[in-house]
Amino acid sequence: MGQLRLLLQVAFRNLFSSKINLLIGGIIFFGTLLVVVGGALMDSMDSAMSRSIIGSVAGHIQVYSDDSKDPLALYGSMSGEPDLAALDDFSQLKPFLEKHPNVKTVVPLGTSGAIITSGNTVDLTLSNLRELYKKRDEAGETPELRESIDSVKGHVRQMVNLMADQTARSEQELGGAQKDPAEVKALAQARTDAFWDAFEEDPYASLELLENRIAPQIPDGDMLELRYAGTDLDAFQRTFDRMEIVDGQPVPTGQRGMLLSKFFYEEFLKMKSALRLDHIKQERDLNQKTIATDPELQRWVKENQVQTREIIFQLDPVKTRKMVERLQKLLGSQEPALDTLLTQFFTTDDANFDTRYAQFYSELAPLLELYRLRMGDVLTITAFTRTGYMQSVNVKVYGTYQFKGLEKSAMAGALSLMDLMSFRDLYGYLTADKKAELAEIQQQSGLEALSRDEAEEALFGEASDNVLVAEATSTDVDDQAAFIGDQGALTRENLLQRVYTQQEIEQGVALSAAVMLKDPELLEQTMVELRQAAKDAGLKLRVVSWQEAAGIIGQFVLLGKMVLYFAVFIIFVVALVIINNAMMMATMQRVREVGTMRAIGAQRSFILGMVLVETLVLGLVFGAAGSLVGSGIMALLNSAGIPAGNEALYFFFSGPRLFPTLSASNLVAAFVIVLGVSAISTLYPAFLATRVSPLQAMQTDE
Amino acid sequence: MNPTASQASIVSITNVTKDYTLGKVVVPALRGVDLEVHAGEFISIAGPSGSGKTTLLNLIGCVDTATGGVVRVAGQDTKQLTERQLTNLRLNTIGFIFQSFNLVQVLSVFQNVEFPLLLQRKLDKAQRRERVMQLLEQVGLASHAKHRPNELSGGQRQRVAVARALVTRPQLVLADEPTANLDSVTGQNIIDLMKELNQKEGTTFIFSTHDAKVMSHANAVVRLADGKFLDRISAAEASRVMAAGGH
Ligand SMILES: Nc1ncnc2c1ncn2[C@@H]1O[C@H](COP(=O)(O)OP(=O)(O)OP(=O)(O)O)[C@@H](O)[C@H]1O
Ligand SMILES: [Mg+2]
Repeated sequence: MGQLRLLLQVAFRNLFSSKINLLIGGIIFFGTLLVVVGGALMDSMDSAMSRSIIGSVAGHIQVYSDDSKDPLALYGSMSGEPDLAALDDFSQLKPFLEKHPNVKTVVPLGTSGAIITSGNTVDLTLSNLRELYKKRDEAGETPELRESIDSVKGHVRQMVNLMADQTARSEQELGGAQKDPAEVKALAQARTDAFWDAFEEDPYASLELLENRIAPQIPDGDMLELRYAGTDLDAFQRTFDRMEIVDGQPVPTGQRGMLLSKFFYEEFLKMKSALRLDHIKQERDLNQKTIATDPELQRWVKENQVQTREIIFQLDPVKTRKMVERLQKLLGSQEPALDTLLTQFFTTDDANFDTRYAQFYSELAPLLELYRLRMGDVLTITAFTRTGYMQSVNVKVYGTYQFKGLEKSAMAGALSLMDLMSFRDLYGYLTADKKAELAEIQQQSGLEALSRDEAEEALFGEASDNVLVAEATSTDVDDQAAFIGDQGALTRENLLQRVYTQQEIEQGVALSAAVMLKDPELLEQTMVELRQAAKDAGLKLRVVSWQEAAGIIGQFVLLGKMVLYFAVFIIFVVALVIINNAMMMATMQRVREVGTMRAIGAQRSFILGMVLVETLVLGLVFGAAGSLVGSGIMALLNSAGIPAGNEALYFFFSGPRLFPTLSASNLVAAFVIVLGVSAISTLYPAFLATRVSPLQAMQTDE
Repeated sequence: MNPTASQASIVSITNVTKDYTLGKVVVPALRGVDLEVHAGEFISIAGPSGSGKTTLLNLIGCVDTATGGVVRVAGQDTKQLTERQLTNLRLNTIGFIFQSFNLVQVLSVFQNVEFPLLLQRKLDKAQRRERVMQLLEQVGLASHAKHRPNELSGGQRQRVAVARALVTRPQLVLADEPTANLDSVTGQNIIDLMKELNQKEGTTFIFSTHDAKVMSHANAVVRLADGKFLDRISAAEASRVMAAGGH
């Protein structure tokens, strides 16, 4: 008792008497600090990230068919869309999964991707005009309709003029560049008054010339990759409660329809000039960048100055006049040319940016279509089979959605949502509707096998009000389901209105099922039990955690953690070596003291105890200090939050800011590691100390 | 002077040799020494530098082992004892006073003196306190109990060391040149103190010194020369020899 007190006293007093001890203490202090702060940050990020993945689409567990060739990858994988076998009847899988006491909800899912090609502005305007003529033919001409037709016609004519001007200009600059003489001729013809005077005589023939000869000369159509998940939209909304509708409305219960991801809608379907303004504003406001210093912002400003065609082409003559007036007023300029005015308007710097940004949205935007797709528009998504047949599905876009906190995350915003019926049609599984439709078509016209080219011709040549046409990359379309024709399209129009029962939604194919658990802590156990139950029931299912289901993303987290653990390991090996050396030096310095103690009767065990107690005290005191400071830092970070800075981090932070928390386990881990490291590193020096001979008491140095 | 000269011997050394090996060279430090020290004696070991005084004291103090011959301390043959037993012998039977005091810097005067008692684990706190304060009283440092060694003068430090050596009431106290680091007056005082304790407590003292004045306090002076026992003379004789210029 007295001995221990003496040891503690010696230890405490030695603590601050030796510089070496202070060095060791410093290492222990920073080591603990690092483990506490680093560990807590990693854990917080890990849980934020898992919240992102679990809360956006994965759920805790994903169940899919064991016949699948590839592992499930909800966010896509390096080699594209994984090859999954379908779950034939979700309505049978659901009760099976829900039987497990820890399962809260089960949502059917199927993810796939399509390439969308959006028509260029000329295409869009022409199809608009064609619609108007069609309406006239059907319902007769009214003064309002006449006015609309003339306005759009004026718009088209203006575009043709602009194109001709541009062609002439680029020809001057580049010399006699290679140009198809037929195109040149068509453009020249379309400019003539004669062409426009004769337009009304055969509007469809005139339109055809414009569509086939003029519109293709503008290469501003975009190819976009659209990834979507087919799901039971209501169940999805209930299960993933961070989901919220931003524009438009939810898809009415039981109906076919699509919700675009808000992120996708903004980034890919918004007018580029407006998007660039948004980006500049965000970088300035959120990340304190300036146009004066940041090359990226400068590039955006430059692009906005140069790329004004997207705006100019959108405007018919009336709107063009209005736009010019407004710009002249805003800029206090007499300049008559719109492109020059726009270039001037978009010449922004840090001083005028905020004003111009506000002016753009209040004065100019009302004259423009800011998005290439409006809520309520119908999107045609087309899939080709391996053998070249084609399947297309019309889906009405009801709104856009986002996950709260993940608004800016490209990862969480990667998936748009679609009803399961459309998904099944598109993926090539015959639904009852489809079968009926198919039978009807076969009866009426006989099934025609179309080559890909013909099919394309048939689809794109057809007048439709679709703004965008998407080609699904899915390859599993049932060959028999290939059909095309007016009747089919009509039937499909009706399908958009149909309301399906919950039973109809669930009875059928899904690619996977997202399972949300009541107690996420029991994830592993639940997975094991579900696997066993599936085996017992003879179901060939794969049961994977959200981490596995996330594919590459899930592996990123794992990788990050491994990197951290490795770093911690390296740091501790280094600390071990340093502490070990320092302890050796400390022991050497105390040889006379230890020798004296041995001479006057201290056993080796006493010396060993003395060194160990000193290390323990050192570790505890500086470890506690490190933990305390670490806790303080974490408390500060917790109240202030760590800004994500760039958008990629939103997903990992589960929002624009990470509010890291410190758990008791972080502190315990830090303490255990630090004490372990200091104990291990003292073993050898302590052993050396016990070997000090009492003779060394007589050494007369010092 | 002491009438108990015929008492049982506390140190008995027979034909002891000690060789140090420095690489391949063997240095004979003691070459067959015989010595008998009786309880209660106050003996000085004298001899020129390198004659083997320190070596002899280390053998008696059980901090080193002889190459040949027999060293008996308190009746025990030190060759037969384990490391633990030797340590216990040092703790319970022998007290050490070092040339450079060797106090534990981070402990107070009181704690330094208490240290061997804590190692012994024989006395409870109150008893330890009484014993320590009694010794500090005897060395005249009771008022400095709470000081740290570095707050004391050299003489005071050596007094603390004397108190520490005696606190366990050892039969034998060894001191290798205890006054070498002190000025002559202070050194004189330390020897007086040791002598006083020798007479009061009957503790046996063996100390080495070069100083003739210090030697003069001893009952007997054992003279070594070149690792060999030269003679055992009285303090008075020793003074005469020293005055004559010999060692
Ligand atoms: N550790 C050692 N290693 C080698 N030789 C030693 C060692 N200690 C002492 N010696 C040698 O043994 C001999 C006796 O030395 P010792 O220290 O006992 O003499 P001493 O009488 O105490 O001398 P001094 O009066 O200078 O202290 C000397 O020749 C010395 O060089
Ligand atoms: Mg000596």
